[in-house]
Formats: sequence, C-alpha cells, structure tokens
Amino acid sequence: MAVAAPSARTPYGRARLIALGRAVRPIREASGIARGMLWAGAAITLFFVVLGVFAPLISPYGFNQYRAGGVRFPQLAPPSAAHWMGTTVQSSDVMSRVIWGAQTELKVVVIALAMALTVGVPLGLVSGYFGGALDRALVLVMDALFAFPYLLIAIVIAFLLSSSSIGQGVLTAAIAITVAYVPLYFRVVRNHVISVREEPYVEAARALGARPRTIIRKYVFFNVVQNVPPIATLNAADAILLLAALGFLGYGIQPTQGAEWGYDINRAVSDAASGIWWTGLFPGLAIVLLVTGLTLLGEGLNETLNPVLRRRRFGRIEFEPLEPDEPA
Amino acid sequence: MAGTSLRTYLVTRLALVVPMVLILLTLVFLLMRVAPGNPIEAALGGHVPVSAIKQIEHRLGFDKPLLTQYGNYLWDIMRGNFGRTITDNRPLSQIIAQNGAATLELTFFAMLVAVGVGVVVGLVAGRFRDTPLDVFGRLFGIVVYATPVFFLGLMAQLVFGVWLGWLPTSDQASPITQALLQTHTNIYFVDAIWDRNWPALWDVTKHLILPATTLGLATAGIFIRLIRVNVIRTLRDDYIEAARARGIVERRVVFRHAFKNALVPVITVVGLNLALLLGGAVLTETTFNWPGIGHELVLYLENRDYTAVQGIIVVFALVVVAVSVLVDFLNAYVDPRIRY
Amino acid sequence: MVKRRFRWLAAGSALVALTAAAALTASAYGGGKAGSGIIIDGTTDTVVNIDPANEYDYGSFTVDLLIFQGLFGFPHGAKLEPVLATGCTHSKDLKTWTCQLRHGVKFSDGTPMTSADVKYSFDRVQKIKGDQGIWTLLTYLKSTTTKGPYTVVFHLSHPDSIWPYILSTNAGYVVEKSKFPANAIVPNTDVKDLVGTGPYVLSKYTPGQQAVFTPNKYYWGPKPKNSGVIINYFSKSSTMKLALQQGNLDMAFRTFTPTEITAMKKTKGLVVHSGPGVDIRYLVFNVKRPPFNNINVRRAIAYLIPRQDIATRVYHGTVKPLYSMVPKGLPGQIDAYKMLYGASPNLAKAKAAMKAAKVKIPLPITIWWTPSHYGDASADEYVEIQRALNASKLFKVTLKSAEWAQYSGALGKTYGAFQLGWFPDYPDADDYTVSFYQPNAFYNIGYNNKQMDKLILKERAAGNEKLRLKYLRAMQLLGAKTLPTIPYWQGTMIAVSRSNVNGIDSTLDAAYYMRFWLISKS
Repeated sequence: MAVAAPSARTPYGRARLIALGRAVRPIREASGIARGMLWAGAAITLFFVVLGVFAPLISPYGFNQYRAGGVRFPQLAPPSAAHWMGTTVQSSDVMSRVIWGAQTELKVVVIALAMALTVGVPLGLVSGYFGGALDRALVLVMDALFAFPYLLIAIVIAFLLSSSSIGQGVLTAAIAITVAYVPLYFRVVRNHVISVREEPYVEAARALGARPRTIIRKYVFFNVVQNVPPIATLNAADAILLLAALGFLGYGIQPTQGAEWGYDINRAVSDAASGIWWTGLFPGLAIVLLVTGLTLLGEGLNETLNPVLRRRRFGRIEFEPLEPDEPA
Repeated sequence: MAGTSLRTYLVTRLALVVPMVLILLTLVFLLMRVAPGNPIEAALGGHVPVSAIKQIEHRLGFDKPLLTQYGNYLWDIMRGNFGRTITDNRPLSQIIAQNGAATLELTFFAMLVAVGVGVVVGLVAGRFRDTPLDVFGRLFGIVVYATPVFFLGLMAQLVFGVWLGWLPTSDQASPITQALLQTHTNIYFVDAIWDRNWPALWDVTKHLILPATTLGLATAGIFIRLIRVNVIRTLRDDYIEAARARGIVERRVVFRHAFKNALVPVITVVGLNLALLLGGAVLTETTFNWPGIGHELVLYLENRDYTAVQGIIVVFALVVVAVSVLVDFLNAYVDPRIRY
Repeated sequence: MVKRRFRWLAAGSALVALTAAAALTASAYGGGKAGSGIIIDGTTDTVVNIDPANEYDYGSFTVDLLIFQGLFGFPHGAKLEPVLATGCTHSKDLKTWTCQLRHGVKFSDGTPMTSADVKYSFDRVQKIKGDQGIWTLLTYLKSTTTKGPYTVVFHLSHPDSIWPYILSTNAGYVVEKSKFPANAIVPNTDVKDLVGTGPYVLSKYTPGQQAVFTPNKYYWGPKPKNSGVIINYFSKSSTMKLALQQGNLDMAFRTFTPTEITAMKKTKGLVVHSGPGVDIRYLVFNVKRPPFNNINVRRAIAYLIPRQDIATRVYHGTVKPLYSMVPKGLPGQIDAYKMLYGASPNLAKAKAAMKAAKVKIPLPITIWWTPSHYGDASADEYVEIQRALNASKLFKVTLKSAEWAQYSGALGKTYGAFQLGWFPDYPDADDYTVSFYQPNAFYNIGYNNKQMDKLILKERAAGNEKLRLKYLRAMQLLGAKTLPTIPYWQGTMIAVSRSNVNGIDSTLDAAYYMRFWLISKS
C-alpha cells in the first residue's frame, strides 16, 4: 500500500497530497538521535550547497587566480591575514580553491547521480517487472559490475573518456561515477519491483486488464521510489569520495578547469614531505565535513524511514470519554 | 525447492562465474583497445622515428583487426597464459606473485584493524544505544568513513613521519632488509618468520603499521555500522528476553548470548566488502608507495599497457568472484533457505 | 566483578602501549646502519629492460651502466674516450671503421672477452629489432666483421662522423655470447644471465622495487670505491624525499620537484649537488598548421617566451634559461635565440611581429602539454607561458593536456603547438640538431628546409672536428631563424645525498652518467 486511491470523496490532487503527508510522517515522528542526525546532516549539507552555489560571491578570489591588483600572490605561503588558508605552489589562494571546490563537487555529483538514476531506475523497473531473458542478461551484466570495486571501474572509464574528444573535465568525471553506480540503483529497484509485483493489488490490476505501463506508473513506481532518497544521499556521500579519489589519482579535473579537492590533495602530497601542511589539510577537512554531513543526513533518513530501526516517539494517547451506557 | 543439495547449489553458483568473468574480460579488452594511443607510442614516442614505431607495432600485432586480437587474447587466457607486460616485459604471473603478495599482506592486516576496531566500537555502540557512547561511536564510524584514505594517509605521514619521525612512511621494508630477505612466499612478514630473521620481522612490521592502520580505519566504518545494527536487532530477540526473564545477569546476557550471534555475519561482510577494500588498497598503496597490485595497475594504466591492465583486472575479478562464491557457499551451508 | 576485569585489561594495554612506544622511538634512528660501505640510492625512474639490446630509457640505462660497457664511453667527464676499445681508425669516406679491442677484459663470470662477443652483440641488436627502438641508432650499420680476436670492423651505409658516439650508447654494449640468445631478450629477473664486463654484477632484481649490485671480481678496471650499490625505485618523489631524510637512503638521483629541492637545500644533514645538465625543454610548432604556419606568429612567441620566470618561479633556479636547442657546455653551442630574439621578453618587437603577421589580435591559440611524463611542474610551466602570452594582449591562450600515452602518439599529427623535452642519446650537439631538423623528424611537424638538409649532410661527412662544429653552429642559427621550435630551459644534473656521502660531485658532468663506482660513504 502506498498511494491513496482516488475515489469519489477524495479527488486526485488531494489524494496525492495525503500520500505525501504520509510519506513524510516518519520524519516528523523521528525521535532523539535520529532527529539530531537528520538535522545536523541537513545543516552541514546545506552549508556546502550554499558555498557551492554562491561560490562566485563568497570566494575572495578565483580558483585559478594568481594575482590581485597587479601584485602576484606569494607561492606556498602559510596561512595569514591576506590568505586565511595559505597559498599553493601555483600561487592560488587555498580558501578560494576550497570554496570553488564545493561547486565542482556538487556539480559533478548532482550530474552523476541524476544520470545514474535516469539509467538505473527505469532499467530496474523494466527488468524487474517483465523478467525473462532481458532480466537475466541485465542481472548478469550488472552483477558483474557490481561486484567490482567502484574505484577501478571509475578509473578505467575516466581514463578512456579523458583520452577521447570529451577530454578531462566535469562531464568525464560525472560519467565515470555514473557507470560505477548504475548497477547499485538497478539492483535496489529491481529487487523491490520483484517483491511488489507479487502483491495482490498488482495482480488485481493485471486481471482487470491494465497495461503494464499503467501498472508500473501507478502502483510500482511510487512504491519503489520511496527507497531511493536514503540510498541516493548515502550514495552522494560515496560519490564525493569517489570523485576525490579520481582527482587524487590524476583522472579528475585539471586546475585550469576548476578546483577539485582530491587533485589539490594530490599536489599537497609533495608539499607535505617539505612540511607544508596547509595545501592538503583544508581540502581534506572539506571532504570529511561534507561527506559526514551527507552521511548523517542519509543515516538519519534511513533511521526514520526504515521500519526495523525506527523508533517512534510516543505521544500522549487521548481516550474518548466513555458513554455511560457503553461497556468498558 | 527445499532440500536441494548443497552440491547442486555450488555447481550452479560456479557455473555463473564463467559468464561474469567473460563479461568483465570483454569489457576490459574493448575499453583498452578502443582508446586512442597505444603502449608502443607511449614508450617510444618523442624520440624514436615514426617509421620505426610502425614497424614495431606491426610485429607485435597491434594493427591486426580487433576481432583477431580479441580471439588471441581469449585463447591465451584460457591456456593460462596471461602474457607479459608490454612496457617492462614482466610476466603477469610474476606481477601477481610479487605484487599480489604485497597487497595480500596489506589487506590482511588492514582487515584485522578494521574488524578489530569495527567490532569493539560497534558492540559498545549497539549495547549502549542512544547514550553518549553510542553517539560517539556512530559519529566516529561516520567520520572515519568520510575521511578519504589518502587524506588520512597524508596526515599520518606528516605527523608520524615528518614531524615525529617515529615510523617509516613508505615501502614494505628498508632497503637493506629487502636486499637480504630471502624470497619464499613474497609476503615479507611470512618470509621473515620463515627465516627466523627477527630484525627483519621488526622492520617489516614497522613498515606495515601506518598503511594497514590507515586502510583499516577507513574501512572500519562499515563494520561499526553493521555490528551495531546487528547488536540492536539481537538484543531485541525473544531468546534474550527469555534469558533476562530467567534472571541471568545483564552483562552475561550481553556477552555470552547477544554478542556471539551479532558477530555471525562478520564473515559475510568481510567478503562483501572485499571490493571496497581492494579499491581502498589502490589509494593506500599509491600514498605509501606500497608495491601492491593496485599501485601497479594505476602505473600501467598511465602507460596504456594493455596486457598488464587486462591481466590485473582479470585477477581482481577472479578474486572478487571467488570470495563472493565462497561467502555464498558458507551462507548456504549455514542457512538452507538460501539454496536455489 | 565487572570492574576488576576491566582493571586488568586497562593495565595490560597500557603496558603494551608503553613498550611499543619505547621500541618505536628507540629504533627510529636505526635505519641503514647495517651494511655500511653499500651505497643506497633512490630514484623515481623505472626500469623497462636490462638487456641492453632492447632498452632506450634512462632508468634502464642507469642499471646497464653498472654492469655493461661499450667500445667507447665517458669514464672521466664529458670527453669521449675508448673503453673496451683502445682506438678506432676510419676510412676516408667515413664508411668503414676499424677498432682495436683492449686485451685482458673478462666478463663477470670469468670468461675472456673477444671480438666474437662484440660482433655477436651488434648482430643481436639488429636481429632482434626490439620494441624499445634502440636498434634505430644502428640504422647506418650494414654489417660487423672481425679480424682476429681483438679487431672489429664496422661497415656503414652512410658516412657517419659521429660513429664513435654511437659506440658509446647501449646499442653498442658488449654482452657474453653464450649467455644471451641471438634473437630473444633476456628477462629482467634472469640476473644470472645478465653478464657484462662492467664494474658490478646484478645480484638481485625485484621489479619495480629494488636492484642490488655487488662488485665484479673479474673487473679489468679500478676497483669501485664502495662494496655494493642498491637502487630503490619510488613512484613518488615525496616518499623518496622522506626516505632520504629519515636515513633509509644515502642518496637520490632523479627526480625531485623544484619545491622539494629548495626545501632540501635548507635541510640539515642533506647536501644538494648540482652540475651541468643535458636535458632540455622546448615548445614545438607544426609549421604547416595555421596559425603557426605564419613565421611572424612564431616570431612573436619567440619574443615573449618567459624564460626567466619559468626558471625562477617554477623551477626555483634548478633549470637555466636556454637559448639554443643545444645545451650550454657542449662544444659548438651558441646562444642562437638570444642573438636573434634577445635575452628577455621584448613586448615591442613582439607587437611588431604580430603586426607583420596580419592576424586577428589577440590571436586565439591552443597550446598542448602533458601532465606527468615530464614531471608535475609541467602544469606550472605552461601556466606561466599562458600568463605571459595573455598579458601581452597579443594572444588568447587555451591550454590543453593529454596523458603521455596518447600525447606521444599525437604530437605534430594532431597538435599545432606543444611541449616536448629531449634527453640525448649521446652528449653531442649533433644529437640536438639533426634529430629535430631532419626531414621526417620524429615529431611530424612538416619542417622541410633544403638548406638545413645540406648542412646535415655536410656535418655528417665532415673530416675533422673543427669543420663539424662549424656546420653545427650554422644549423643552430638556421634553426633559430626558421623557428620550428623554441627552446626555453636546460636542466641541471641534481643529486641529493646525506652529508657523509663523497664522490658525487666528481660524476656530475655533461655526460650525465651516475658513476656509482666513484661514490663512497665516510
């Protein structure tokens, strides 16, 4: 059961609203820790989203800017009043690169997840509902990819795409991450579809002669999609780590195209051997913070939506006053 | 389908391995060949005349049609001949023996750290759910998971290597130790014990500490989460209620009954997380200059060494598949409901 | 009950922790003490093949230099001297070279070396035609014959005044007939068969990690000043630097980043040794592809290239501005580009050149570079070039990069302007001119200058050194005038060692050999 069926008394639009309210109820009912995680995670994530979206306004300098007012920035300067987080070997301001990095991370991850969902969810729906040879073939391919370390898949794809006409950049990194995660969404959606498809109401719809497309649209899709937000949030956390890893290995985004935290840490490794800590510490902390925020958000969502772990807050129960002539 | 024999399950499971590996092999082959640039040009471009490069490419068969190359490639693999790398003429089997052993050493000790830390923190967090201990434990797990393993490695190198100078920050062993150590298994830890070479063992252990701890910590997050959830679930179970009702002391209830059952899926998780560990191993090996197979893969990818990349990915695939089959098999052995 | 158990646990773990900490600190400074007299070197180079018949990269060459030798070489400085030979004479047409071999030379397994081994070695390189391409250095060799056990005759197809230089490369290294198959390469791990006449024997080789050398007891020359060498291979220079600082390495040669070198100059206990270098960095143009087919556009870039900024800002003085394709220190070198375009960027002349070019200003151009093959500083290097060209308001530069594997196959075929570095086959001006200016040069830039072709032929057929140098100077000037390339820096040979290591300075010269046998520890 999920969507409220439209009937004579509840028109279509209102039924949808009621369903939405029901979907959100667990969040409002969340207790203590789960609630804390949810809001803490949301706050942190929101902070970075703001940083990323408004980077041009917030950041003191461009991500590649090496001078201001005709004066060059010092190279590898420690944190100071002029440069709160110091400068890099290319004379760029570290703080600016951290802020612009937020934009890059968001860009890539949002594109990657959108693509992964667009590919993985429909495939999972179709494969799960129709079954047959197509299903078996897809499962085989997806399982093969799924068992494989994400990083390796992403490296190989990023490597190939960077040599093609697309070149290195946001799109290449996004595609590499997409390919690594499509099997995950495929699997989750497909498994859920299989369990839903045996439900009596779906069988009833089939018996009534509804077309597969209608059944999927009306009954299966919304049912299944409920699972996606916690997974997508946790996946976003993972995707950021994956993007940073790609950048660290050199398959990410070049400094002239944008700022990327993983790449900056890569360059910082040689700095560290000379005792220069600020070029690596700040991008690293940014990654830790953002991923923690997303994970808290995801775990919080999971905790509130997953019935096994859910702990409802017990509100006061008001009993209706008994009528004198009704037995107790 | 109750009552299907274990043997049938195993056979079916193994039979599925073949198409999976084949798909991965084909994918890797296509991907490597389709990309522009080839290893000969990578090695010789920039100082050898183009005519010579073309001659060499022709001799090595790089200009044959794709299908022929694919056929040769599959045929070689089936005969167990994974070939030699193009850029440094090493037999793949030697790479697997030497570098695979190094990765094995690293991942084994990292797994020890991950399970150790994960189990302890997970147990505590689960037992004392919703108390500050739990919150701290979960937060610890999340933060440790959120820290990229190369960042953790970088900071560890900075603190323990550069500033404090306590631990070595790269390689499996110091140069003299490595030069003098006899090769038996290629796993330096084992080889040192084999020869009863105690100074060498100490040296090898010192080199293991930072990389294994870094990789282990980064992977511990998964275990913390899983153990904690399991402990919570187990503590709710009926037989625990029954034990409490019988008047058994709470501590005993927890230690003797709940914890043991909560730990059962650890093996499964270890197996399922092998993929994660291998991925993390690549990054750790790169950061610490650990001569493992993940590190080699990254280096060969840069040089577009087809044979090397194909061979290494095949090995990875086989290992992952083998472990997942083993895990499925163990699960099926324990729980008959799972068999097909 | 609970508390007691935990107390024991706490005490036990505290004890363990204390012991561990004590042991760690105690042994922190113990590395490298055992086996003194052995030089431990670190490098970021990689070894491809040790068999000299199929190697063409510096990492492999460093290993070969210790265990093999050729008829000629550079035992003392950048002067070409006979090594396994005692001398060579040539015919008037420079096509036949007769060389006398040294008597009493033995291979590291005690077998005496004869002319049969020499002939076998050359035949082998040409027969195998290995995929590393070193056989291309022997293109002019038609055949090798022997006249008795101590005379070898080389028959060339073209007059080749620089033939003795070819004999000093590893294409001419002498191997033992019985140990090396005639048409296959000896695998690197087969150390027992890698037998040569050099001062060391390769006793252990772990691919990608370590090469261990012990002195050759049958060596005909002076004994090495140390009791062995271990070369450790690193994939990142930062880990190599840490290892050097912590005392796990005695020295490191190739290749640190400029930042690291600057930091090590200030580190106590370490010494940075530098000497003349032979590697160069240059910008290449496909002279047939617009807009670079316009000589005035190329001239403008030549007037703007920020050599000093690159040398100081990016490389912290570890490279020197270069004004010719031939590096300073080699006989016959002239600063051709300084003579034609000045020592520093000249905005006025660049503007004039662009005006004469009659192109849109600022002119949009794309310059290509490659991220890791030439070191991470390449990124910074090209950012400097971009900044200088953009600041002149004459150009609008887009930078593009590709990994070496793809980059090296593309070069002039695909790119209009691109980065390249050059490392010589032999330290002579010939290798820095002919390789670039000949028609069908390796980088496909469509350069074809009849006058240059004539100069090359004359240089190769030159009867004496004075004449040859004259032609080399003319080639440098013509190259600077016609601008297929713009050189901008010349490297230094840098090795970093701990302060107790001696002898490195004696091996830093334009021959670019790391003669480990001259190095000792005190």
